[in-house]
Amino acid sequence: MLNIAERYSFIGKDIPRRDADSKVRGLLEFSTDISVPGMYYGRIVYSPHPFADIEEIDTREAESMGAVVITPKDVPSKPFNIRLVSVNEVTFKDWNILTFSPRYLGDPVAAVAAPSEELAQKAAESIKFKFRKVYDPILDAFESMGSQSAPIREKILKGEEEIPVRRNVGAELNYLEGDLEKGKREADVVIERAFKTNRRYHFQLEPKTSLCVPEHDGRFSIYTTTQTIHNTRILIGQVFGIPLSKISVKRIPIGGSFGSSIQTNLVTLISVALCMKAKKPVKISLTREEDMYDHADYEMHLKLRVGARRSGELTFGELVNIMDIGAHQVQAYPLLGTALGWFVSLYKWKNIKYEGKAVYTNKTPSCAFRGYGAPQISWAVESIMDELAEELGMDPLDLKLKNYVGLGDVFWGQGPTVRSVIRSDGVKELVEKGKQLIGWDRRKPPSMKQGRYRTGIGFGRSFHTSGAGGPISGEVIDYTGATLKLNEDGTLDYITALQDHGGGTLEAHAKIIAEELGVPPHLINIVPSDTSVTPYDVCTHASRGTYVGGEAAQIVKSKVFEAATRILPKAVNPEAFKLVYDETLEQAVVYVEGMKDMRITLSEIARTSWQRNWGTIAATVSYRATSAPPTFTVFFVEVEVDTYTGNVKPKRVVAGADLGTVINPKLAEGQLHGGFVMGWSMAYLEDTIYDRRTGELLNKGMVVDYKIPTSQDSPKLEDFKVIFANTYEPTGPYGAKGLGEAALNPVAGAVANAIYNAVGVRFYTLPITPERILEAISGGGKQ
Amino acid sequence: MSSLNRMNTRILPTSFNYYEPRTIDEALKLLSELSPEVRILAGGTDLIVKMKARQVEPKNIINIKRIEGLRYITEEKGKIKIGALATWRDLEKSWQISKKIPALFDAISVMGSVQVRSMATIAGNLCNASPAADSAPPLLVHGAIVKASSIRGTREIPLDKFFLSPGKTILMPDEIVVEIEIPVPPQRSSSAFLKLSRTAMDLAKASAAAYLEVEDGKVVDAKIALGAVAPRPVRSLSAEAELIGKPATEETFSLASRQVVKDISPIDDIRSTASYRKKVSPILVEDALKLAFSRIRGELG
Ligand SMILES: Cc1cc2nc3c(=O)[nH]c(=O)nc-3n(C[C@H](O)[C@H](O)[C@H](O)COP(=O)(O)OP(=O)(O)OC[C@H]3O[C@@H](n4cnc5c(N)ncnc54)[C@H](O)[C@@H]3O)c2cc1C
Repeated sequence: MLNIAERYSFIGKDIPRRDADSKVRGLLEFSTDISVPGMYYGRIVYSPHPFADIEEIDTREAESMGAVVITPKDVPSKPFNIRLVSVNEVTFKDWNILTFSPRYLGDPVAAVAAPSEELAQKAAESIKFKFRKVYDPILDAFESMGSQSAPIREKILKGEEEIPVRRNVGAELNYLEGDLEKGKREADVVIERAFKTNRRYHFQLEPKTSLCVPEHDGRFSIYTTTQTIHNTRILIGQVFGIPLSKISVKRIPIGGSFGSSIQTNLVTLISVALCMKAKKPVKISLTREEDMYDHADYEMHLKLRVGARRSGELTFGELVNIMDIGAHQVQAYPLLGTALGWFVSLYKWKNIKYEGKAVYTNKTPSCAFRGYGAPQISWAVESIMDELAEELGMDPLDLKLKNYVGLGDVFWGQGPTVRSVIRSDGVKELVEKGKQLIGWDRRKPPSMKQGRYRTGIGFGRSFHTSGAGGPISGEVIDYTGATLKLNEDGTLDYITALQDHGGGTLEAHAKIIAEELGVPPHLINIVPSDTSVTPYDVCTHASRGTYVGGEAAQIVKSKVFEAATRILPKAVNPEAFKLVYDETLEQAVVYVEGMKDMRITLSEIARTSWQRNWGTIAATVSYRATSAPPTFTVFFVEVEVDTYTGNVKPKRVVAGADLGTVINPKLAEGQLHGGFVMGWSMAYLEDTIYDRRTGELLNKGMVVDYKIPTSQDSPKLEDFKVIFANTYEPTGPYGAKGLGEAALNPVAGAVANAIYNAVGVRFYTLPITPERILEAISGGGKQ
Repeated sequence: MSSLNRMNTRILPTSFNYYEPRTIDEALKLLSELSPEVRILAGGTDLIVKMKARQVEPKNIINIKRIEGLRYITEEKGKIKIGALATWRDLEKSWQISKKIPALFDAISVMGSVQVRSMATIAGNLCNASPAADSAPPLLVHGAIVKASSIRGTREIPLDKFFLSPGKTILMPDEIVVEIEIPVPPQRSSSAFLKLSRTAMDLAKASAAAYLEVEDGKVVDAKIALGAVAPRPVRSLSAEAELIGKPATEETFSLASRQVVKDISPIDDIRSTASYRKKVSPILVEDALKLAFSRIRGELG
């Protein structure tokens, strides 16, 4: 069998990204770089208390400075949800653009616009409040559910129906499968542990920005930080009652996201509200500090109970998932389902019980974060599986390989309504190779380690879905679209609403189209687009390695063949044609096998269609994936712990990924490097810590006290090995699957297991800081 | 009350008068006229951040970066002299520092990033008076002297006496630091600095510098200083007393380093905890002593 690079002209080859040069030179414009004449600058005003009811907002001073001011009275008051990915009936709505009832410190209560940002800032600072009531902030999920706690919300909307909120629980999901009691009876070993994850800030490079421009004909143009231009447009339309045909949301390069802009950002809606009142273009760029108050990961309190027979066969798994969601719901309900999905699709527990609750607190609202709960669930599960293996006297690799959900099994990564059967699985191959590379067999138990510096090796595995498609239409909206047109010289314009977060999604699309039509990627224009000219796309999320570009390319190809039958004498059957990229001509040729004169270049077909008035060869498709195949990943990590200071260093990493056909090897490797560093950071460094008294972030949003690793904190390149499984995903484009999130999911588990292997102490709270390690080692106990 | 509506690191909505003197005399005159409502601006890597965060709102700013003749590193009569405008990067490239003041060179290599080091001055680091200032412990153990000028003249302040409390030095509001002077250490001496932080670009959770002078296997002089474990960078006289006159052995270092807890008073903050800082301070000191000693032995051949 030919390897990928030999089989294909473009797929599997490293081709420089088209935006690399302009990014490096600072020429690429992000939303915050865009200015238009006459533009006002907006600033958002937040409640000085995290949990309060406001009686009155005094804006007189701001107005006397010449600022345009909006308060909750100036904006629509019907609650909505900023994320539109779930179908309406299961969308929980508790958001307003501005509120008289702030529930966390970043809850916007007013906004101002002025000709300069400095003036806007001064005006914002001059706004005064009179409070009806100020409550003590509730910063703990369990406290929040207690009978003593004030209700953070009393009523919210579910779809169009008003529902009460009891004990600050915003959403619930319970699940039972099999016979739990039977599973418990069959278990020879049972382990129960409670885990608490951290509440990380996404720390995407670009703080959120929005520019709203009123056009002369009554339309609004919007330039904003988003993973989904269409949902942004729909939400603006719904909230303000503006027809969609009057709103055009532009696709602007985004400076990373990691899930933080899956929803429509509040800053976008505020810029629209200000723009409507000021009748001027208004731009708001969040400061880094505001951005840190804007979004965070979900903090999960996970109680896990699992059982196995002596043979290592699992008999049951029980998970209680209490999520601290902060002050609003973004996708708490779907995540309760997805977290369950990750759990049941990691290992075959057989008998399953799940209890999930999403609890309001007076903290920054949680939203999706790369991995969407899988890094948290995988950390807990991979930790407890290692403990189970130790109890059983088994190698954790054997226990995991024996029980994992793999080839031919049903898997439902993205929650109960998104199920499919696994058709490609490279886990065994990756574990075998990784084991050799890291030297797993030389790994010693912690009891045999001595001295100040102790090394440990840990293993973690996980997976992620490629998208949220499925055979049936569930609770999740998932389809996308694109237009592809053959230009008059044989080059292509590719028009899609899909966003590239920086991972190279659109580059991969261009490659697939290039492969399909024999047009080199650099001759495919990825058209800067907006909602007006693109079919609906739900969102670039859930690692969707979508086939939409390839789908459009296939239609274009059949039209090209039809045109060829009109040009070449005697040709009647379009199906007889083949298309190949000719390296010497540097373009595609259409031909019939074995017939010398039946050969024509693609550019000649394009030119002829134009000259003879045959019209444009183009295709517009709307596409839904019928499955969401899992990309499997494994990480072997070697750490060194300084037992005198608790400092931990990552020494060596073997990262293995089964992503089917590797379309872009360098970019895929980059994802795994980045995934490791982010996972390392989750395991060892990050948390947003709140002042228990004031509800403020202890670091006040300042990056000086929110640390993520630098390159110096990462393993050396020569100590980081990437391996790809040799698999082919039959439902994916050219056999490919997604990678962005799978690259992160197993890391914290692998790191935690490595730390355990080094020092013999298990940690059940993230991050595992040097402080916690030293405390545990000197206390000699578990943490 | 939350600070979110006011503090940030991008927008500076306050106005101030800005001065750019070309000579030190001009600067001193301005300073005496404007003080105390004035701030000196050097690299700005502390000051501008604090202004945007609204921790300070000066009415007047005197940028001293345009003053000629304040950016130098020289050696004269047994003293290394560092001008007030010398940046960390200047020192990083200076062979005098890397060869003769190894603890300071250690500090430079773990301070900020190349970008920050290219803007920031050592004098600014001291005047900012952070308990975690990375240049402080090395300069303390090397017996540095700070020279401060005002229209009233120039005075010499031993660094030991320079720091008062977080953000506060002994400088009068009309004084400018013009030079930092370090005695060239004798033969058979060396020093080292170590820092614990969350990542490679971070302020210290705890730091320590050690200076050792050894003759015939005996410690004849020793200085220990720590950062981020007290309201100001501190010497550990208790540890020093346990070193001087003792044989230069690992056992001596270990016993002496345990004394440092007497001289520190760490707190809990977002970077670390008091109890952690207490535990690692002796470790840092012991490691720094060992490193300094190994450097001496390396030099002796
Ligand atoms: C990203 C980043 C990373 C950093 N990392 C570190 C680190 O690792 N370690 C560390 O110690 N610091 C670090 N810092 C802090 C800072 O860079 C240093 O303290 C730096 O040395 C300050 O020097 P400056 O010239 O920028 O001072 P400025 O900000 O200009 O001034 C600081 C203070 O000193 C006063 N001042 C300056 N010069 C004089 C003078 N000649 N006479 C009298 N007063 C004066 C100013 O009025 C001001 O109060 C970091 C800062 C940033 C932004």
